[in-house]
Amino acid sequence: MTEFLQQLVNGLSLGAIYALLALGYTMVYGVLRFINFAHSDVFMVGAFAGLYLAPIVPSGSILGGILVVLGAMMVCALLGALIERFAYRPLRSAPTLNVLITAIGVSLLLQSAGQLSFGAAPRAFPAVFPARALSIGGLDFSSNQVVVLLVALILAVALRFVVFRTKMGSALRAVSQNPRAARLMGINNDVVIRFAFLLGSGLAGAGGVLYATNYPSIDPFMGVLPGLKAFIAAILGGIGSIPGAALGGLLLGLVETFVSGSEYSTYKDAIAFALLILFLIFRPAGILGKTRVEKV
Amino acid sequence: MPKPLLSLLLALCGAWLVSAFSAHLDPYYLDVLIGVGINIVLAVSLNLIAGHTGQFSLGHAGFMAIGAYAATAVSLFLGPLLIGDFPTPGGLAESTLFFAALVAGGAAAAVAGLFVGIPSLRLRGDYLALVTLGFGEIIRVLLQNFELLGGALGLNGIPPYTTPFWVIAAAALTVFVVGCLVNSTYGLGFRAVRDDEIAAAAAGLNPSRYKVVAFTVGTFFAGIAGALFGHFKLTITPAGFDFTRSIEIVVIVILGGLGNTLGVILAAVLLTLLPEFLRPVAEYRLVLYAALLIAIMLLRPQGLFNFSVRRPAAPRV
Amino acid sequence: MSAPLLQLTQATVRFGGLTAVDALDLTLQEGELVGLIGPNGAGKTTAFNLITGLYSPASGSVAFSGRPLAGLAPHRIVAAGIARTFQNIRLFGSLSVLDHVRAAGNLHRTASPLHALLRLRTFRESEAAVTARADELLALFNLSCFRNTPARSLPYGEQRRLEIVRALATRPRLLLLDEPAAGLNPQEKIELVALIQRVHREFNLTILLVEHSMRVVMGVCQRIAVLDHGKKIAEGSPEAIRQNPAVIEAYLGPDHATGLFHH
Ligand SMILES: Nc1ncnc2c1ncn2[C@@H]1O[C@H](COP(=O)(O)OP(=O)(O)OP(=O)(O)O)[C@@H](O)[C@H]1O
Ligand SMILES: [Mg+2]
Repeated sequence: MTEFLQQLVNGLSLGAIYALLALGYTMVYGVLRFINFAHSDVFMVGAFAGLYLAPIVPSGSILGGILVVLGAMMVCALLGALIERFAYRPLRSAPTLNVLITAIGVSLLLQSAGQLSFGAAPRAFPAVFPARALSIGGLDFSSNQVVVLLVALILAVALRFVVFRTKMGSALRAVSQNPRAARLMGINNDVVIRFAFLLGSGLAGAGGVLYATNYPSIDPFMGVLPGLKAFIAAILGGIGSIPGAALGGLLLGLVETFVSGSEYSTYKDAIAFALLILFLIFRPAGILGKTRVEKV
Repeated sequence: MPKPLLSLLLALCGAWLVSAFSAHLDPYYLDVLIGVGINIVLAVSLNLIAGHTGQFSLGHAGFMAIGAYAATAVSLFLGPLLIGDFPTPGGLAESTLFFAALVAGGAAAAVAGLFVGIPSLRLRGDYLALVTLGFGEIIRVLLQNFELLGGALGLNGIPPYTTPFWVIAAAALTVFVVGCLVNSTYGLGFRAVRDDEIAAAAAGLNPSRYKVVAFTVGTFFAGIAGALFGHFKLTITPAGFDFTRSIEIVVIVILGGLGNTLGVILAAVLLTLLPEFLRPVAEYRLVLYAALLIAIMLLRPQGLFNFSVRRPAAPRV
Repeated sequence: MSAPLLQLTQATVRFGGLTAVDALDLTLQEGELVGLIGPNGAGKTTAFNLITGLYSPASGSVAFSGRPLAGLAPHRIVAAGIARTFQNIRLFGSLSVLDHVRAAGNLHRTASPLHALLRLRTFRESEAAVTARADELLALFNLSCFRNTPARSLPYGEQRRLEIVRALATRPRLLLLDEPAAGLNPQEKIELVALIQRVHREFNLTILLVEHSMRVVMGVCQRIAVLDHGKKIAEGSPEAIRQNPAVIEAYLGPDHATGLFHH
């Protein structure tokens, strides 16, 4: 039983990070209908931003940790907006395939540029939050796991507020539902799309720092697998759906943690893909999404 | 004699000539030649799937892996078992064994392609890209866990059967098969399905059938490329066939122009030679690839080598 | 008497809460040219999509030549002998005009894909036959001069005609035309009407025509069925339909008694 609860906590904290990343995928998919392959590398940049910010804030304190997370979020939001402006906007009317390939290109560019500037070898990530081993009722976990869950929860609540309670948020939802109608209603789609990138990339930045605090070494290719899995999570939850992304992230984090703890741990990375394929084939709309019939 | 068959025959003669004189050629150039040939097989076969049929696949390296492993299983384990020993170099037995290994590699990959193609029928665009990527990764993880085939360490000591002859012949055959399929009334269906599936069905074409055929034929040749690759590098590991390798092939196809066979061949040559020239600045290679991909999409989405917007007229018959 | 060529029995299509085609009964005898009209959103295109297998009925059935079409994939229905055009033109953007017709000729080619690889005489003869027939059709529809033009750079009127040619190239027994005159100028409309009548005669076709232009429908159809909100509200000769109060009401609302089709 304690074993189970232990894995549950581990799974939730991994899932929370997937969820943060998945939110960015789902928002961009909502407004532009394509997989932003570069999102996972924005996440990586977030981790490195944290690495370079850590020495200039009070180390191992809550305030320092918050500053690092906020800083990484800002760096990534900016990066996301730049990518949107220079790589994706010129392709607004191009076929999806071209945008997809461009996104892969941007992803590779960030990885290789990261490799040149940060080096290919893994780097140790400093303890930005106060690190303590906690033990409650026989459960062992680190304070970092608590931090991950708390920060993710706060960000999710904040995102919910932005999307459902602000003007920009309603514009975002309007554009996801029907870009053409939104434009007719006087919404500037470009501004909304940039906003989606700012938000999504900011969350990825926070995710990068949180991931790095829990798995304390980072490298320029660290984003690839978590990124793919977060996208899978977004699909499991129902692509385009914000609660779906959160749900899918947590679910995938749990599944993966429990598989890692079992005798099939070496198949961990294949399981996510197998889930993806099963979902795409049998329930492409995901858990919370709606199926649509193509109009002819 | 029909022109395509004649070209194929000429190419085979060329392959034999290169082989006959290979002893007098600089081995470095022969290696480069083999690299170019393997990439042509990979790119032209992916072009059938992604270019002509519009099924954007990010898992080509996975099928290459299956081909490499299946072929190696034949030449490394099965062959010696049947013959009793490794065949004498250059003899008929060796050629037969390698031929069998190539066919086995292609067939195994084609079966896998069929398995991926059928469930992928309902997906399109970026979803399909993601699923094929997923399949590629699953194949890699399975191979890593398959101790019989060396697990994560892979297989070593593969006999060096790949010669310029085999590579040129395989490249010529790939170009021939894909070209002949596409340039026929039957083959118009590939592009029809790519342009509009519903309209293709309304014209009496079976979109699913075309997609599965494209997948099966394309992955067959990916398997052959893998087999050639394994018997050239003499050692294979699951990690050698990862996502990055798939992307390399995709870059070639995009650079050459989706659906443009000649362009894709030129791009395969260019992109295989490029790293050779860039050796002094090797660490910038990946940056360059990435920038190239973005630049092509922004500035020349039809590919580098598509000079006429008009497509060539129907084949004369 | 033999079975009717096309028979819809109580056919119903639903999208969520919306019943787009509601218990539709429709029968076409061999050789007829029937019009299907109705206001926007009446369910005409949905009925076509149902017949051609793109949608499956929530209830009711569709039979072709006495054979139920339930569960057949769209391309099989084409092979059975039903071809169609699309209201919002769907051509293969990158294929030339000739290649559109050749592609649709696949149902009747004699060489297999393996022949294409061997390039032997069978293959060349089959290809030549397909191309020759395609050229004939193009000539009939005045499209020969656009033979090698990619469809996406074709003028609008020619695109509409190419849709019809592609459908004919599958050698159908029943042809479904979804607003073939939409967007054409008056002169082109007149030519199209003549063409439809000619095709109807020369190809021994049965045609079901959806069209908003009353001039076209009244001019060519022997019988007309009227849909409104998915239901068939009237059926009969052009004369009878012209005077049917239910039809006038469906088009203009309850306060207009006369004068609909007299402009
Ligand atoms: N795939 C779909 N999903 C949801 N609703 C649909 C779908 N296809 C059609 N409809 C709805 O069904 C109704 C009938 O549409 P349909 O296109 O058949 O009308 P129509 O008679 O062809 O109209 P028009 O003259 O404008 O072409 C409309 O209300 C339409 O919005
Ligand atoms: Mg309609």
